[in-house]
Amino acid sequence: MEQVSTDDLLAWIRLFARLVAENRDALTELDAAIGDADHGANMHRGTTAALAAVDGAAPASAGALVKKVGMTLVSTVGGASGPLYGTFFLRVGTALGEEASVAPADVAAALRAGLEGVVTRGRAEAGDKTMVDALAPAVAACEEALAAGRPWAEALAAAADAAAAGRDATTPMVARKGRASYLGERSAGHQDPGATSAALLVAAAAQTLAGGGAGG
Amino acid sequence: MSAPRAAGGSRVGIVVVSHSRALAEAAVGLAAEVVSGRPARTAVAAGLDESTFGTDAVRIAAAVEEVDDGDGVVVLMDVGSAVLSAELALELLPDDVRERVVLSPAPLVEGLLVASVVAAGGADRAEVAAEARAALLAKDTHLGTAPDGEPAPAADGRLTGSFVVANPHGLHARPAARLVGEVRRLDADVTVRNLTTGAGPVPAGSLSRVATLGALRGHEVEVAAAGPEAREAVDRVLALAARAFDEAPDPDGERPDPAPSAGPLPASPGIAIGPAVRLRAVPVPVDERPAGPPEHEERRLADALAAVRRDVRRTRDRTGPGQAGVFDAHLLLLDDAELTGAARAGTDAGTSAAGAWARAVTALEAQWAALPDPYLRARAADVRAVGDQVLRVLAGQAPVHDVDVDGVLVAEDLTPALAGALDPGRVLGVVLSGSSPTAHAVILVRALGIPAVVAAGPGLLDVPDGTPLVVDGTEGRVLVDPPAAVAEEYRTRRRELADRRARDAAEAPREAVTRDGRRVAVSANVGSVTDARAAAAAGADGVGLLRTEVLFLDRDRPPTAEEQEREYAAVLDALAGRPVTVRTLDVGGDKPLRYWPQAAEANPFLGVRGLRLSLTRPDLLRTQLAAVCRAARHGPVRLMVPMVTVVEEVLAVRRLLTEAAAPGPVPDGLRVGVMVEVPAVALNIEAFLPHVDFLSIGTNDLTQYTLAAERGSPALAALADPLDPAVLRLVGETASRAAGRVPVSVCGEAAADPAAVPVLVGLGVRELSVAPSAVPTVKAAVRRLDSGACAELARRCLAAAGAAEVRALVRAAVADGPGVRSRPAPDA
Repeated sequence: MEQVSTDDLLAWIRLFARLVAENRDALTELDAAIGDADHGANMHRGTTAALAAVDGAAPASAGALVKKVGMTLVSTVGGASGPLYGTFFLRVGTALGEEASVAPADVAAALRAGLEGVVTRGRAEAGDKTMVDALAPAVAACEEALAAGRPWAEALAAAADAAAAGRDATTPMVARKGRASYLGERSAGHQDPGATSAALLVAAAAQTLAGGGAGG
Repeated sequence: MSAPRAAGGSRVGIVVVSHSRALAEAAVGLAAEVVSGRPARTAVAAGLDESTFGTDAVRIAAAVEEVDDGDGVVVLMDVGSAVLSAELALELLPDDVRERVVLSPAPLVEGLLVASVVAAGGADRAEVAAEARAALLAKDTHLGTAPDGEPAPAADGRLTGSFVVANPHGLHARPAARLVGEVRRLDADVTVRNLTTGAGPVPAGSLSRVATLGALRGHEVEVAAAGPEAREAVDRVLALAARAFDEAPDPDGERPDPAPSAGPLPASPGIAIGPAVRLRAVPVPVDERPAGPPEHEERRLADALAAVRRDVRRTRDRTGPGQAGVFDAHLLLLDDAELTGAARAGTDAGTSAAGAWARAVTALEAQWAALPDPYLRARAADVRAVGDQVLRVLAGQAPVHDVDVDGVLVAEDLTPALAGALDPGRVLGVVLSGSSPTAHAVILVRALGIPAVVAAGPGLLDVPDGTPLVVDGTEGRVLVDPPAAVAEEYRTRRRELADRRARDAAEAPREAVTRDGRRVAVSANVGSVTDARAAAAAGADGVGLLRTEVLFLDRDRPPTAEEQEREYAAVLDALAGRPVTVRTLDVGGDKPLRYWPQAAEANPFLGVRGLRLSLTRPDLLRTQLAAVCRAARHGPVRLMVPMVTVVEEVLAVRRLLTEAAAPGPVPDGLRVGVMVEVPAVALNIEAFLPHVDFLSIGTNDLTQYTLAAERGSPALAALADPLDPAVLRLVGETASRAAGRVPVSVCGEAAADPAAVPVLVGLGVRELSVAPSAVPTVKAAVRRLDSGACAELARRCLAAAGAAEVRALVRAAVADGPGVRSRPAPDA
């Protein structure tokens, strides 16, 4: 079975940063509706810094690379996404370990660990209108596909689809966590910016982690 | 807040996490303002840079490591990501450091202020975190007692409120009894919790449980209520707490700190000489064999409780209203559901009534005895006393109604019931090996006028019955079988004291005139008709201060003019033609009235009190003035207003008086005066003189305000001396400018202070108003004075450096001769 290399992981981060940059204003607009209109700017600042931290001198191991991303996000995002994405990457990095490449099943397990970190940190549950609503179905879809013996690329694609569906499902939800929860019922009818950026993260993974040239 | 610790206390660091660096730095600056001494180590982890909002877990972790000295760190945060980042920072820290970091849920600014103060004082991190967490309570309490304040519904739907215990001895038996009594009348389930120590919650309807909160003065107590009258319950408890649970100030002033090793302690003044009579504590038998089935034993216990209840009520009625609180507390213990419930559980299980009761009492006594405060611990004796009374009834022993003692009673301790049963005609003195001057039984002994010494040590218990004893209750001395010459000296002193008291009392009805023929009126400070009768009997020349607060406190609507008139007329009748000075209502934010909500004030003694408060409700003041006008029909009345600061206030009162008297005129001869309590009045006295008919100097408040020293604070007792030259100058300025224009009296405690009397007379004061019991002594003191010599003494006192020098000058002058130096008098 194919392996996920540090180069693949670096490509993931690079694409995530690019998607965030491209969607910066859209994310901010979504946040303006139900939050404090800084999600696009915060994530852009964080992912740019994270990419810069690993792009020039990528750490030798998969875990070290992802942890470095997490630490950088923690220090540069500023809003709640900082500790939440930071925790995600720190947990994923820790789970990936010190090898230069990792088997897909271990990557899926690492994503599960990252998701659990986010849930623990934010005390958010499915349906609270948060990034968990995109990440949780994505991780589940990936695990299911692998368990069914489907190829790694298909598993990642299933994850991306699930994340997008999860993101879309946040629109009618009433926020129960974070700044948007202050709005109560009025938060319904808006897509959650955190779930939106999380779907970008999974989409970037689908295009990069299945190995050489799968991404675009 | 914790008191500063001795060096070597903890060094807890503080980290401030905020989205905004400017906010965090400003908050730290604010906190630094309130900390005196070495500040706590504090670091800021806020903003991504100077101007970008955001929080950063890495910086927070670094800040924690920066301020951690090994004693740990308390982290305070603002909102949202600050909390998430701080939690993440914990994960980034090494295990040993993480273990000593506390993330505080306290509101950032309030929590930081409190944490800074407490940490600078050397508290450990748990205490710092706990204090920070409680930081919002001050604001809660403040807003909760504001006029529009609503008790906050707690998470479980109970209404809550909190108060700070103001009673000097904490929530001990008497205030606790008031609390219990108040909530039992209401249809609400009420609990109380000591927020300062974390004790409780316990049912507020149980005296025994309330006492186990160990709520001392300054502790914060939360009251929570559910049920139909929950709101009423919370309101009433808060109002009661604001009135210090209606606890009258200890007539003997602040209690001396009970220091058991420091005995023997004077407990009741006077000299007793007589044979020792040992009152042996007879152990009460506890019959463990049930006499019948559980129902029978339960019945026996209920009967015994009822019998003791009747007995306690009788004792209470015999000892008079002043000491009723002690016995009310005993009655509540007899009704205490916790105590009787525990006993009933025992009888249910087949134990005898006596055995079940004894065990329940012992358990409760042990709980009280384990409390950290010595005063509260002493209340365990009340539990034992009540418990033994019940056991005695169960054992078929007669209740103790009188003590068969002729001589000096020697015992380990007394129960209040026994103390109340002492016959002053037969019990010459009391010596207790234990106890304390503030024990309930000892307070009763003092009220009976029996000389007493307590904490005398166990050695005295070995003295055989009949051994001659000398008890000096003034100095706190016990002499066992003293040499004949010593005993004779004490006998002489006792005789002199008795003779002097008898002579003074016999002379008291006559006017007090100095040796050089100047009359000094000695009148009485009273608060009720009973007091007024005592004053008349003691020979008072009038009432110099009739406190009217009792008429207004603890009721649901203000007294009507008719009600007030009746009270004032009764006082006038008691004084039989001698003048009565009625002081208008003198309360403040520290004593709120139910029908007159007042905002809590940080410093009620500098707040809206006395006349300031009365002028906010002219309708109520007008009613009181109308009552005074009507009372003038019954005898000579003077009207006095407290807490005056500026002339406009006097003019406002005169206007209201005219309105109140309408349609008639203000009664002829109704004189209007003001109290000189605020230094500004004394300093600006010329402005007041055209508008007043008399002046009365309240030395207690004048001293407090002049020396900026809270009265009643034991720590400031030496500072708050009315004989301080600064206070004397204000008295002198007032008296000398008023001389020949309006009379000046003194109605503070200084008027009865033997050292102060010659100085006050020397300064030109011509009326002293004192407690009724002090009237004969003060009159006698005046008769020994020469006004010229006093004036000379006063002049030297005004030039003294401080109160100690004044007291030394007075001592020297009195030693010089009974007239305070007889020298021809220059006219004062």
